[in-house]
Amino acid sequence: MIVLEWLFLTIAPCDAAEPWQLGSQDAATPMMQGIIDLHHDIFFFLIQILVFVSWILVRTLWHFHYKKNPIPQRIVHGTTIEILWTIFPSIILMFIAIPSFALLYSMDEVVVDPAITIKAIGHQWYRTYEYSDYNSSDEQSLTFDSYMIPEDDPELGQSRLLEVDNRVVVPAKTHLRIIVTSADVLHSWAVPSLGVKCDAVPGRLNQTSILVQREGVYYGQCSEICGTNHAFMPIVVEAVDRKDYGSRVENQLIPQTEQA
Amino acid sequence: MADVDAAKPPTLSEQYFLKGKDKPVEDVKTPVATTVEETVVETVKAVEESPAVESSDPVESSETNEAASVESAEAAPVAASSEATPAAESSDTAPAESTEDAPASEAASGDDSPATEEASEEAEAAEDDAPKIKLETAPADFRFPTTNQTRHCFTRYVEYHRCIAAKGDDAPECQKFAKYYRALCPGEWVDRWNEQRENGTFPGPL
Repeated sequence: MIVLEWLFLTIAPCDAAEPWQLGSQDAATPMMQGIIDLHHDIFFFLIQILVFVSWILVRTLWHFHYKKNPIPQRIVHGTTIEILWTIFPSIILMFIAIPSFALLYSMDEVVVDPAITIKAIGHQWYRTYEYSDYNSSDEQSLTFDSYMIPEDDPELGQSRLLEVDNRVVVPAKTHLRIIVTSADVLHSWAVPSLGVKCDAVPGRLNQTSILVQREGVYYGQCSEICGTNHAFMPIVVEAVDRKDYGSRVENQLIPQTEQA
Repeated sequence: MADVDAAKPPTLSEQYFLKGKDKPVEDVKTPVATTVEETVVETVKAVEESPAVESSDPVESSETNEAASVESAEAAPVAASSEATPAAESSDTAPAESTEDAPASEAASGDDSPATEEASEEAEAAEDDAPKIKLETAPADFRFPTTNQTRHCFTRYVEYHRCIAAKGDDAPECQKFAKYYRALCPGEWVDRWNEQRENGTFPGPL
């Protein structure tokens, strides 16, 4: 590790959008890694097909010339080539479909019991987060609102329109269940680095499970048009060590239990 | 918490690789035998009453110290465990370090009984870091394998109140259902349902 640092080979993952960014943000969950891999997978076929088709097209245009080929060939039927151009695309489609479905269903699946549940409730235009695993009554709950920091307010180093006042703190390397719902209109809870995009529908609880693999701060934005301030209700997830998460939750619970 | 990082802030690449850290992570799962409120309140008392260097309540602090040291001795990495246990025994010098979960940086600043102020700071940090939160929540229920968990929440709520109705309030076997529905349902929904139950308009089979 130290050797890597000497060689200036430190890893600085990209967890928020950058100016002129092409491609995805760096993966922090297995799901996002899967999405990126699938993207690269498909791009392999995509470029092959692009090259092949443009080659055919350019070649055809090149040879379709009144001086070089005054009488063009007129093929109206060819069994062999028809079989070929049916079989080959379907094989390619299969090669795309299999990893795609594998990823899709693995995203859907809840494999293990999650360690914590976090409820993300969308409002116009902020989010409320509830940590209710540690409750002993209906009233007492670790609930907070998360508003965007206004445009003229951010401190140096904060991202404009992405920073919030209260981040969602989650433990890293832990299976999380995020329950997404809304209190008014459609919203969406989306964090690119975590590979999560889950619609928030009023009256319905949508579940998505994530496993954050490294500690860090991850940014996302509302992804379902929800009104005037749709662009101004970002999501910030802060993944911390499990121990730090425990002590943090505890600190926030103590004042509540003392009040109660 | 700040002083934990102070000794050597791990770089991003270190955090990314994380070889040995998996082991101390485990101790979140193994909580102290006493409950959250009790232990914390006790340590708070102990810190407030005593000027942190000498603990005026040996009974209470030693309780927590022992509990924490047992835990840390189990879970702490090799370097830290040797530091943490003697700290608990010689508890009148620095009770703070023993309740600490003893990460490597903390152990480095260890038993040499630093200045009073530092010790009291560490005492505060110690009660922060001693993990008493148990990370557990409603398990995955295979009646509800889909993304839509609305009925999961509702069913757990109904199950709890049916359980209460059958076995009486405060039945211990019903408490897990209460935990489940509280974990799954938004507080607003629970409030609304509670209201509906009081009015007798709850739509579920109670």
